[in-house]
Amino acid sequence: MIMRKALPRRTFLKGMGTAIALPFLDAMTPALASSRIPGQAPVRMGFVYVPNGMDVRNWNLDYEGKLDKLSRIMQPLERHKQDLLVLGNLTHNNGRALLDGPGDHGRCCGSYLTGIQPRKSAVDIKVGISMDQIVANQIGHQTRFPSLELGMEDSRQAGDCDSGYSCAYTNNLAWRSETQPLPPVLDPRALFERLFGADAGLTPEARAQRNRFRRSILDFVTNDTRKLQSSLGPTDKRKLEEYLSSIREIERQIERAEKDNEQIDPQMEKPYGVPADFAEHFKLMTDMLTVALQADLSRVFTFLVTREGTSRPYREIGIPDGHHPLTHHRNDPALMEKVTQINTYHVTQFAGWLDKLKTIKEGDSTLLDNSMIVYGAGLCDGNRHNHEDLPTLIAGRGGNYISPGRRIEYRKETPMSNLFLTMMDRMGVHEEYFGDATGRVDGLNLT
Amino acid sequence: MFASSVLYAANSARPPKPASKVPSSQVAKASSFERDIQPLLANNCTTCHNDQLASGGLDLAKFSTASSILQHRDGWERIVQKVRTGEMPPEGLPRLPVAQIEALVKFVQSEFEKADRNVKPDPGRVTTRRLNRNEYSNTIRDLLAVDFRAERDFPTDDSGHGFDNMSDVLTISPVLMEKYIAAAERIASRAIGGDPLPKKPVEAEYHIKHKTIRRLDASTIEATHRLDWDGEYIVRIGLPGERGQDAKPVTLGFWMNGKLLQTSLVETKPSKLEYFDPYSDTELRLALPAGDHVFRAGFINDDFVKTVPEKELFNSKKNKFLNSITFVGPFPAKVEKASRKKILTCDPNTGAACVDKILSALARRAYRRPVTRAEVAALAKFAAMAKAEGQSMEQGIQLAIQAILVSPHFLFRIERDLDPTDPSKVHKISDLELASRLSYFLWTSMPDDELLSIAEAGKLRQPSVLEAQVKRMLADERSSALADNFAGQWLETRNLDSITPDPKKFPEWGPELRDSMKTETRMFFESILRENRPLSDFLDAKYTFLDERLAKHYGIEGVSGGTFRRVELTTDQRGGLLSQASILSISSYPTRTSPVIRGKYLLQNFLGAPPPAPPPDVPTLDEEAVGNAGSLRQQLEKHRSNATCASCHNRMDVLGFGLENYDAIGKWRTMDGKFPVDISGTFPNGKSFSTPAEMKVLLKEELPDFARCIIEKMLTYSLGRGLEKYDRKTIDDIGRKLSASGYQFQTLISEIVQSLPFQSRRGEGLLTKEAVNPKEVARQ
Repeated sequence: MIMRKALPRRTFLKGMGTAIALPFLDAMTPALASSRIPGQAPVRMGFVYVPNGMDVRNWNLDYEGKLDKLSRIMQPLERHKQDLLVLGNLTHNNGRALLDGPGDHGRCCGSYLTGIQPRKSAVDIKVGISMDQIVANQIGHQTRFPSLELGMEDSRQAGDCDSGYSCAYTNNLAWRSETQPLPPVLDPRALFERLFGADAGLTPEARAQRNRFRRSILDFVTNDTRKLQSSLGPTDKRKLEEYLSSIREIERQIERAEKDNEQIDPQMEKPYGVPADFAEHFKLMTDMLTVALQADLSRVFTFLVTREGTSRPYREIGIPDGHHPLTHHRNDPALMEKVTQINTYHVTQFAGWLDKLKTIKEGDSTLLDNSMIVYGAGLCDGNRHNHEDLPTLIAGRGGNYISPGRRIEYRKETPMSNLFLTMMDRMGVHEEYFGDATGRVDGLNLT
Repeated sequence: MFASSVLYAANSARPPKPASKVPSSQVAKASSFERDIQPLLANNCTTCHNDQLASGGLDLAKFSTASSILQHRDGWERIVQKVRTGEMPPEGLPRLPVAQIEALVKFVQSEFEKADRNVKPDPGRVTTRRLNRNEYSNTIRDLLAVDFRAERDFPTDDSGHGFDNMSDVLTISPVLMEKYIAAAERIASRAIGGDPLPKKPVEAEYHIKHKTIRRLDASTIEATHRLDWDGEYIVRIGLPGERGQDAKPVTLGFWMNGKLLQTSLVETKPSKLEYFDPYSDTELRLALPAGDHVFRAGFINDDFVKTVPEKELFNSKKNKFLNSITFVGPFPAKVEKASRKKILTCDPNTGAACVDKILSALARRAYRRPVTRAEVAALAKFAAMAKAEGQSMEQGIQLAIQAILVSPHFLFRIERDLDPTDPSKVHKISDLELASRLSYFLWTSMPDDELLSIAEAGKLRQPSVLEAQVKRMLADERSSALADNFAGQWLETRNLDSITPDPKKFPEWGPELRDSMKTETRMFFESILRENRPLSDFLDAKYTFLDERLAKHYGIEGVSGGTFRRVELTTDQRGGLLSQASILSISSYPTRTSPVIRGKYLLQNFLGAPPPAPPPDVPTLDEEAVGNAGSLRQQLEKHRSNATCASCHNRMDVLGFGLENYDAIGKWRTMDGKFPVDISGTFPNGKSFSTPAEMKVLLKEELPDFARCIIEKMLTYSLGRGLEKYDRKTIDDIGRKLSASGYQFQTLISEIVQSLPFQSRRGEGLLTKEAVNPKEVARQ
């Protein structure tokens, strides 16, 4: 056939090609960050959430002060010891039943960043605005995306999520309002397109025209919606208000993009599909997140690694059993061992990401230095479903704010919300109340 | 509240005290409650459920009068349920005589009914609902004839009550809004095709040697590929190897997303030419839609390959097999796109009249109602705007379509009220609103022209018109959306895509077997729907739908080839949903079966009696922790000797063990590892069984419960809201009519369509908020 001769054997265009994700090109451009961020590098705040608690025997450290010997699960972080602050006894009281009966998995995820006990309902969802969104509302206008929400696991497609709690509580960490969760982006390609544009091929003129069209359309639908709203009941109005507020957010993005028409070249191929391999998926997502933070596309992120109650097996490390069933191990050492291995595997991926964050120089410091990233679980022991002493550590110095390399043990039952209020301070957002906070936490820095 | 406390309180060791006396003032108002019911409780229940012991947190003092039946309706429903199923009185105590049970049930139910007759009917209120991903995709398909798969692009829709079309949890986030805008651009461009194809076709190859292709079995390969344009493509399938001199040709099939697109005959005997490496390829030319697709190529009914020893399967001198799929394209399609034909009913270059005509027709269908002249004018402005920017008229239409696709009138289903804040104002929804409710219920899509026109003319509610429309819509193939979206979620078979049986233990598991399982359940559901079979077929039909793969899996002879067909069952190992591999697989762990999960599944999805989650301080019984089935049964029995656990597990485990003859991917077995499978069981009501078929007979006696369960699920799905207290009457009414019809499936659907909550709505008010999910309260 003629066609065949006329074409080179393998031609890849952007947007067509391999079925598997191409590996990230490690050579990123450090120049990018410095050119986009004049003067003092901004502080970034993020949360990496792992589900189903941990095998806390192998997580906990039995000493305070300078980090010395790490626990087995933390072992992969050995090389990052000087960048970690390990926190003990932080508690989410609002993850507890408090007369609402079963559903610890739904509750602990819903309350994690909100500090509020979620309403027990399958559809009539209500929790609180999450702390990352409180921060994003204040500082988000400075970046293209007020916040980024990432995840790695799709929701259950059918059935119940947890004991009468809507799946919304376990599918999402970030809540823009008490009824509006922000779904995480799961697919590397979707994340790529969101961050770096699906239209890298467009000329500046074409892009400008597209933005003009988009603006007119958004004006048009905003007007239509206003007309509609006046004749509706309160809940319907609220639904349309969600829609309008999302439109306003897009308008803001367009405005920013118009002011700042620079295209960010992530120096990677657009990924395809979702890698089956956990580590590969994690790396792709965090590689892109790194570029986004480096290029100051956003300063706030949440990363829901997998969902509460997940039954994902970990064949990558030879564990064919589902994660959640394993955590109810009834003290069988063989099963507890597998839980520890899964916990350690997660930490291993996180440690690999920290390596990358450290390679990004920002003046005399690194991207990691200018970040504070909470790594933690919403349950303590996945077997017992308890909500006190949640496994928690912070990586990074939050821009010369945190003095890491230590472990702090707070008074028992210290609200996690106290830590969050303190972190919000660091982000320049000073709130009087948050969730069940009783105050701030001390000791994050030694000065 | 009530139920959870029943279940969680530990069995107290204190001696029981006599029942507390009923206050004399109430005895004075003697009724049959005092005569028949009260003594029954006093003699059988209050020994434990009194103010001292309050076993399970239940003190029957609150339930000692006739008026309590309505005051504490949730509690009474639970009491009746527990007594009726024989779960109470607990094992070890004398069972209630059947006559007494019936008297109790009858009395309480008649009280409920009496009360319901006097209650002002309340249709409830459905919140403005945005289209979910399935609705969006199907609506785009029917509106524009564009194949778009929102589930690949849009964030997951949160779900509640087990369904992803619940209006209250369908929220909008900025990420989704970004997706809506981008999707509108892409869809509009594909519909009109105003944006040019790339000048040169592109080639993309998927090859075993590059590990870019998955081998599903010895003669099937699969690749996921994204096409950026609608157009024609050349698909080249690489076929290395050859077979013997007398080898027969074999049929090569090519599938997209599980659908067979084309077949072609392939020669397999050695060619006369001297090849160093025998190789041939087959080229197909196909019109393919843009998007991410799973493409599969394979030999259909390849008997030869079964004779090839495993290590020679990919020896090119011994066998012919597949190793690559290459896509070359796009080429301009020779025939005009269906979408253009549908939209461009005149040439927009002829002027404003045509543009208006096109846009008003489109907007009417997209908004699912007639549009005003002002609305059309606003849309036409976009066409003018594109023109002013130097674009063609067709691109102008394209821009107007973009605007339509992000409009709230398209993205939301909005129903108007006379007085949106007055809950007492009950009114029928408009014919147009009813048309959308119908089409999204039965088709997961927009109304078609016929339905829309009838509604516009205000004739939808005329005698027999509505019924005729329902019949027509069920006969239409779009009603298979009920199988995909209703049954897929009710039966949880959608989870088949995410389960991961251990390949070491279940080497047969793979995408093909998984797809066959899905197809069986889907076709089974559809046949009951379309042929208007009774609901009891779900429990014990004597037929099913199989292809060769699944028939082998079931050990059923005489089914050959990959085509599904109806098979009459002669074995009592199979028949009904509970012996279908799809359901047996999704209710198992990756490494083994779980009687607890299966029992819970049955209670929740078949019997409408979902067990509450285990109490917080007692871990779920994790039978995965147990090494083998022999000890598994013992462990579970031990577990049940604890009264706290027993109250639920008595029924749940018996049901689950009844399915132990099916392994974790639904294969029949009589041994589990070293242990013979023992499925026998006795329900709390004393009835026993020793084979799955016998259990099915007992389950069939629960047909009214099963019917009620499916009524509740389907009503929830059809309305897009959770059920409330005031929906009980609707559920009861449908139940009665269903029973009178012999439980015919289509009766269920037409009764739902005729029901008050489906036909009417009311203003919003505090009434709705107070009655949040009574069922959850009652059951958990």
